[in-house]
Amino acid sequence: MALIEIENLSVTFRAKGQEVRAVRDVSLSVGAQESYGLVGESGSGKSTILRAICGMAPVTGGTIRIGGQPVPTPRGRAFSAQVQMVFQDPYASLHPRHTIDRTLSEPLAIHGIGDRDARVVQALTDVGLPPAFRFRYPHQLSGGQRQRVAIARALMLRPRILLLDEPTSALDASVQAEVLNLLNRLRAEQGLTFLMVSHDLAVIDHMCDRIMVLQHGRTVEEIAHADLAAARMTTAYARSLFEASADRMLDGPVEPAR
Amino acid sequence: MSLLEVKNLRVTFDTETGRVEAVRGVSFSLGHERLGIVGESGSGKTMTGRSVLRLVRPPGRIEADAMTFDGQDILHASEREMRALRGKRIGMVMQDPKYSLNPVMTVGRQLTEGLRLRDGLGRADATAKAIAALEAVQIRDPARVMEAYPHELSGGMGQRVMIAMMLIPEPELLIADEPTSALDVTVQAEVLAILDGLVRDRGMGLIFISHDLRLVARFCDRVLVMHKGLVVEEIEAAHLMEAQHPYTRGLLNCLPRIGGPRAPLPVLDRAGF
Repeated sequence: MALIEIENLSVTFRAKGQEVRAVRDVSLSVGAQESYGLVGESGSGKSTILRAICGMAPVTGGTIRIGGQPVPTPRGRAFSAQVQMVFQDPYASLHPRHTIDRTLSEPLAIHGIGDRDARVVQALTDVGLPPAFRFRYPHQLSGGQRQRVAIARALMLRPRILLLDEPTSALDASVQAEVLNLLNRLRAEQGLTFLMVSHDLAVIDHMCDRIMVLQHGRTVEEIAHADLAAARMTTAYARSLFEASADRMLDGPVEPAR
Repeated sequence: MSLLEVKNLRVTFDTETGRVEAVRGVSFSLGHERLGIVGESGSGKTMTGRSVLRLVRPPGRIEADAMTFDGQDILHASEREMRALRGKRIGMVMQDPKYSLNPVMTVGRQLTEGLRLRDGLGRADATAKAIAALEAVQIRDPARVMEAYPHELSGGMGQRVMIAMMLIPEPELLIADEPTSALDVTVQAEVLAILDGLVRDRGMGLIFISHDLRLVARFCDRVLVMHKGLVVEEIEAAHLMEAQHPYTRGLLNCLPRIGGPRAPLPVLDRAGF
């Protein structure tokens, strides 16, 4: 049985009398300990799917099941103990006036978990930060360090599923490599399941076993990892994303974009 | 003769906690070609670009042994002389359309403002020229975009509006600071094609500033790799894969590739340089 099952999910935003159908009839299932990627351009609905799972987007149709159980509304504590999200911008997703210690302890306090001191130190060590960082504020950290803190925060409750919304797109290339390596190591160590969103096909290819290409809120194509590398996609849109992917620019003779 | 000559450029900020050297002695010359400047955040690439137009705010200070544009000394030029260059002969496309366009003016008014004030064109002529500029950057319904406010445009559209605005006075040199980093890959390819056409057809010089080594390698003729305010390597884009400097190699290797190995990505050894 799949750990995450989404069937015919639709999300519609209503603003000023206009309806925007951000996600239309998307179905996907992610097995336990699998890593699943969502790619598409801005406005394709890829981030909205993650937000819908967390109850942060207006679901207007379809079902979301985690471990066979439909998700409750509001999501509640049992849900957040299983599913956590890492956001794109580490500059915006950490509370600027809370120390790292407070950011990391808060989920423990909400869930009534003791032994906070040791758990905070352990969480920082897990993401490769010195324990002394717990007394700092977010503005005293670099972008990469902040994203490590955001990952540590997501893992405080030892969830089974991490939803990753462009976790490295705000970071420099060399820092991106460090954070991707960290995520892969944590997935192996803690047996995590990833549902990851990115506009960078090369990042998704490096991280994910299966990939869904989205456009205008609809599924275009689902591609297995091996098929992506071999360019065995069946739709023209998926192929155009593949052709435009930046990493292909290093292959073969360099020619200016035409 | 080269279009732009920069010798030993330094940009220093005197702050409360001491002196910060953002650029520490950068030299390059540019002809009618596409020069890429690549580096990570804090490498000084943006400051290098802004220095050419002397757009560094105090407490920042620009110093150089020489800085000439088309034979004219721009290091010691007066503010009045600089204003005659800015926009008209040297254009600059900023990174983020959200912050660089005026949010309370329609696109049309922003595009025609310069034409009417600087070139003294009438309303109808200015509008016609602005619409032509929007068409040149592949905007399909220029009349609607002219009436729109910046917040009504997508990021890609806003970026193209900024490029159109910079190209109206037909500058001889265009400095593009991360012009495509807010765009989707397919739109990115279109914008690059527009810039590429302008370099080829009009013989414009282009300084293309980016953090994306792969993009720069594909698009530019020559690449300067910057790190901590210094140029660590200058290389023909076609030979980028043969780069020697450990920092350039590190930047190239740490990027994931489609079909690449699943092993941990090599990370930069920051102690090495």
